[in-house]
Amino acid sequence: MRGRRTRVLVEPPSHATGDIAFNLIVFFLVCASIQPDSGRPQTLPSAETVEENQQQDNIEVAMKRTAVLLNGEALPESQWSQLPKRLKSLLSGRSKPEDRIVVVKSDKDTPYHHWIHITSVIEDAGGVVTLQLEEEREVQVP
Amino acid sequence: MAMGDIAFNLLIFFVILARANDDSHLQWTPSRVENLQTAGHSVISVLIDKDSKLYLNGQQVGISELSNLIEDLIPENPSEDERTVLLKVHQETLAQRFEPVIEAVSEAGGKLVHIVEEEKN
Repeated sequence: MRGRRTRVLVEPPSHATGDIAFNLIVFFLVCASIQPDSGRPQTLPSAETVEENQQQDNIEVAMKRTAVLLNGEALPESQWSQLPKRLKSLLSGRSKPEDRIVVVKSDKDTPYHHWIHITSVIEDAGGVVTLQLEEEREVQVP
Repeated sequence: MAMGDIAFNLLIFFVILARANDDSHLQWTPSRVENLQTAGHSVISVLIDKDSKLYLNGQQVGISELSNLIEDLIPENPSEDERTVLLKVHQETLAQRFEPVIEAVSEAGGKLVHIVEEEKN
């Protein structure tokens, strides 16, 4: 007696190819649209808060193209690993958010990857990043 | 069979239409940073591409009009998500270009989220 042979591979009907393609496209579109981006939220305090706080000793971080100045002391790129520790020690004992303001000044030629790295380190150490931007002034030469 | 083809063509049409407000065609390289969070979904996206051109939701704009345009996109009494502005900056962009953009987003009352990639140690 011969056993029944089952066909494992069955070709889909050719008239359904369009529908299958359509469903596959919808599936991948939905997958792509629900893929969330990853990022770093950044809350910048208003200018008034910073001005009110200017009498106090804010920590100051100045960014150059290849170096960072922490309260005026230069840290070359090789010493950036020390930055979190030094910031944490400067911020220790400052509990209020307005006391934890770190004023960030950047040179015009500071690249974004450098800037986002340093501001992330400041935020991870508990600092509140505040940007100090250079004001553009029009000077009329007589 | 024709129904499938009609639906397929409609879908392609709407996908192309949607790309008009999309910035996925723009060229930029994100920076790498540690400790990231999920940015969530936002209807406002600001991008500076590798040529330092500024885009709002895929449309090229000038820095002087950015703040007002973002304000228009944020509804009255917005939720946290509605205020979220996704900022995508090419990693080599200089401070003289991206800092005024950050200032404009802040002025417009946007909640800034820098879109970056996770740096793995």
